[in-house]
Amino acid sequence: MTDYATDYSRGEMIVTAGARLLENNKVIFAGTGLPMVGITLAQLTNGPGIIPVFEAGAVGPTLDRSLPLSVGDSRTTSRANYIQGLNSAFELTQRGFIDVGFIGGAEIDPYGNLNSTMIGRFPENYMKPVVRLPGSGGAGDMSCSCTYTILIVQHEPRRFVEKLQYYTSIGHMDGSKGARQKAGLQGKGPKRVITSRALMGFDDETKRMKILATMPGETVESVQAVTGFDLMVDEDVYEFEPPTKEEIRLIRDVIDPTQIFCKR
Amino acid sequence: MLWTGLSPDEARTYIEQKDKSKRDKRMTMTEAVQTFVKDGDNIGVGGFVNSRQPVAIAHEIIRQGRKDLILSFQSAGLVPDYLLGAMALEPEHLSVQRMEFAYCGHEYAGTSSMLRYMTENEKIFIEDWTNFSMSARFKAGSMGIPFIPIRSGQGGDIEKCNRSQTTQCPFSGRTILLIPACHPDVGILHVQEADLYGNCRIKGQTFTCPEIAMASKNVIVTCDKLIDHDIIAMDPTRTSIPFFAVDAVVELPLGSYPTVCHDIHYYDKIHLEHFKGLTDAFRKGDRDSLAAYYDAYIYGVADTDQFIDKIPYNQLKYARQIESRNLELQTHLTPPTA
Repeated sequence: MTDYATDYSRGEMIVTAGARLLENNKVIFAGTGLPMVGITLAQLTNGPGIIPVFEAGAVGPTLDRSLPLSVGDSRTTSRANYIQGLNSAFELTQRGFIDVGFIGGAEIDPYGNLNSTMIGRFPENYMKPVVRLPGSGGAGDMSCSCTYTILIVQHEPRRFVEKLQYYTSIGHMDGSKGARQKAGLQGKGPKRVITSRALMGFDDETKRMKILATMPGETVESVQAVTGFDLMVDEDVYEFEPPTKEEIRLIRDVIDPTQIFCKR
Repeated sequence: MLWTGLSPDEARTYIEQKDKSKRDKRMTMTEAVQTFVKDGDNIGVGGFVNSRQPVAIAHEIIRQGRKDLILSFQSAGLVPDYLLGAMALEPEHLSVQRMEFAYCGHEYAGTSSMLRYMTENEKIFIEDWTNFSMSARFKAGSMGIPFIPIRSGQGGDIEKCNRSQTTQCPFSGRTILLIPACHPDVGILHVQEADLYGNCRIKGQTFTCPEIAMASKNVIVTCDKLIDHDIIAMDPTRTSIPFFAVDAVVELPLGSYPTVCHDIHYYDKIHLEHFKGLTDAFRKGDRDSLAAYYDAYIYGVADTDQFIDKIPYNQLKYARQIESRNLELQTHLTPPTA
């Protein structure tokens, strides 16, 4: 009988789900924040052989000098195997060395395309957006060239939208067959979307987002209610296992004791 | 084709005629910026987000004032915020006309209020790229080629916002993105170690500093430590940037403070978050607090020595201590409070 935690935050649920999705011995390209916590949790549980890569240049570190605050943080180099710079990291991605990329955005559409550039009318108001976001960073590259990507987005109706205001990181594009191949992209695109409400995948035929599992306490209806477009539902939809007491202990005591990214 | 900075032909011609002699390039910060940063220049900004940002050089550019600058970088936080903040306060003293970049913000600490203020009020021209495409633009410049093909950055809206072009690869027939080289007028970099000739050693991630140095017309380097040339010559495989790419060497311990400098000091989160808070307040209408910061920490001091004098010693000490200690040893330290 697994000992499940009863007291955990949304961030901790996302991190746990992310960690469980990672296969051992895979190379993972991670952005700042929850993905760093997820990778470290996976390394301490099901994936001791996981190899993190950070876009500023560090390959295969162990995050044992406390959590980095940036993908360019000196802490991302702790016990690294190889350190170069951004070109090197993205060349690895382009060459096929990166199995999984973790990316996020402010808006997501049914095909897993992401916006992290601007809120406002594009292209008319590109130079005068309503809200200017920080920009692509490396997400626009990871979305193209990692073998596949896992997306983490806050689950709110205004963020899950049928049409993005700007297409920064490319998912399954318009969902048409071979769209990514035609655009010249190499990676297979988004495979999973993790939120505090659900674990989602993409339909093989239409490439539209599909609920695979609901997070504990959620239902298909409650997930749909906070989504700004129609979600498909997998015929074998299930309830995701809550975090175990051990997973929560590792997050709180070992990985992120000062709650840099995982607020309680 | 619009070449911001130098065109590939201009960049090549400049290096051909340049004095490449191995000579003493030490300068004061004032002299380096006076000599190599001009109105209208495209500035290649070294570092990455708030890591090894050339803060001291940015402060001196602000003190001296320049007009119509272009900033080129992959991801940056504090340096563009400082320059845009100076422009927001006094546009007749310092102005940025254009930014070519992939990310401007502070990662864990949030978005850039100065980028928001400038774009949402349409005060600068923006060209969006991705981290790889900006990095590869510097790389193409460093390789002496006018463009480079990459396998990302196409298929969405980013390619509609910049000078990249998709084409069919003549060999594979696949769609591919071509991006133009970037040759800044001046590259501004902070490194851990350099000798007096300009040979640089970067510790930890190199970001795109070597590429920016090789692509730029002129390069100003600040270094935490000025090291003996014999140390360079003993292990030249450790040299990240060769002397003839560098035009000014300024010995400046803590020249990238309060951003992190691998092996030297960690972030000073208190100072970074204090400044970030003032920029947030500016965007919401509080001009005076940000102006007071510039008066105290930039205009009110002659140089970086005096800037660092204003940082409480316990903040400096803590940033130094945690940079080299593992988690277990860190827990025995008491973090300073603001």
